[in-house]
Amino acid sequence: MKTLLAKTKSMLRKTIDLLLPALFPSWRFFKEVGPSPRVEYRVVLKGQRTAWRESHPVPERVGLGSVIARMVWNPARNTQLYMVSLSERLVSGRVEHSASELNHLIAAKIEESQGDLQFRLMFMDDEGGAITGTVVYESEPVPLSEVRR
Amino acid sequence: MSFDVMMRMTEIMLAIVVLQTAVEHLWQGQSRALFMARAIICLWLLFGFQAGIAVGALWLTSILLLHRFDGPYNGGADKMTMLITTCVGAAHLFPQWQELAMAYLAVQLVLSYFVSGYVKIVNPEWRSGRALVNVFRFSAYPVSENLRNWAHQPRVLWLMSWGVMGFEVVFPLTLLNPVVLLGGMAVAATFHLANACLFGLNRFFWIWLCAYPSLIWFQERIFE
Repeated sequence: MKTLLAKTKSMLRKTIDLLLPALFPSWRFFKEVGPSPRVEYRVVLKGQRTAWRESHPVPERVGLGSVIARMVWNPARNTQLYMVSLSERLVSGRVEHSASELNHLIAAKIEESQGDLQFRLMFMDDEGGAITGTVVYESEPVPLSEVRR
Repeated sequence: MSFDVMMRMTEIMLAIVVLQTAVEHLWQGQSRALFMARAIICLWLLFGFQAGIAVGALWLTSILLLHRFDGPYNGGADKMTMLITTCVGAAHLFPQWQELAMAYLAVQLVLSYFVSGYVKIVNPEWRSGRALVNVFRFSAYPVSENLRNWAHQPRVLWLMSWGVMGFEVVFPLTLLNPVVLLGGMAVAATFHLANACLFGLNRFFWIWLCAYPSLIWFQERIFE
């Protein structure tokens, strides 16, 4: 009974925490342009590691037809934007859900079916006029079979 | 615009926009039961039968989605969706406070532009145009690598920065005249359209439009 009460309380608190920013939004869009995340992954199979590759990279160019179509059908881009949010949440300390979601989203896009999946977050920033990337998080490898939905 | 017409327009636009996002998630195979429920609720809301209950059901599924994604899936667009759903739902649930609920939405819409412009204009990086250059140089927002070349046009981006900041901070003044308000909303919609084309923020474009009827009604109610 105590556990149920504690769980209900925790669920209510979380609901309020999630709801309040929507009901009283701060609207501080692009207040500043800080370090920006890229998600990279590799697969570890029998001790062999592939090179790090960017997950969900943006295309080289997007034609006018695609731009128009994306106004009404844009699931891939919205997934990319969700991954940006997840990366920012993860480095702010909300690790469990963000890492799990990133693992699922990366695994859904890659060809490999065996081995362990590992990802890292590279944050790009301007340092002295040059763009540099800093790895701020590296996940524990997890079996691909576990993270494929 | 009468209150009833504004409410119905908002409900119809909200239903169409949420339905579109639900279909995208269903196509991706994410949380099928939840998004199927949202799609059905949107169709229900479109028909308008017992719209208040439909909006309530939509609100509950929005709460479940916040838990499912541990926050908004699509940042500000999801927050605006939740805000509109809450205000429309509150207007149905508390008829004596219905005008207040929709006025709150209209005020938040105005704040969404003003606050966003204010926080930029007090930042020297935005005033110099450097912030927008960096958006194109290394942020995750441009929809293609090709667009990063815009970072080599600092004068154009300086002009764009001031255009955006200026429009955002003066937006509240458009409330003083209905024709100016329509012009302001057209400029705002163009701004959202540019964000959708350059940064892939298509959901912001559609959901912000959903709040516009509340602003038209609010302007008439307060200033006419």
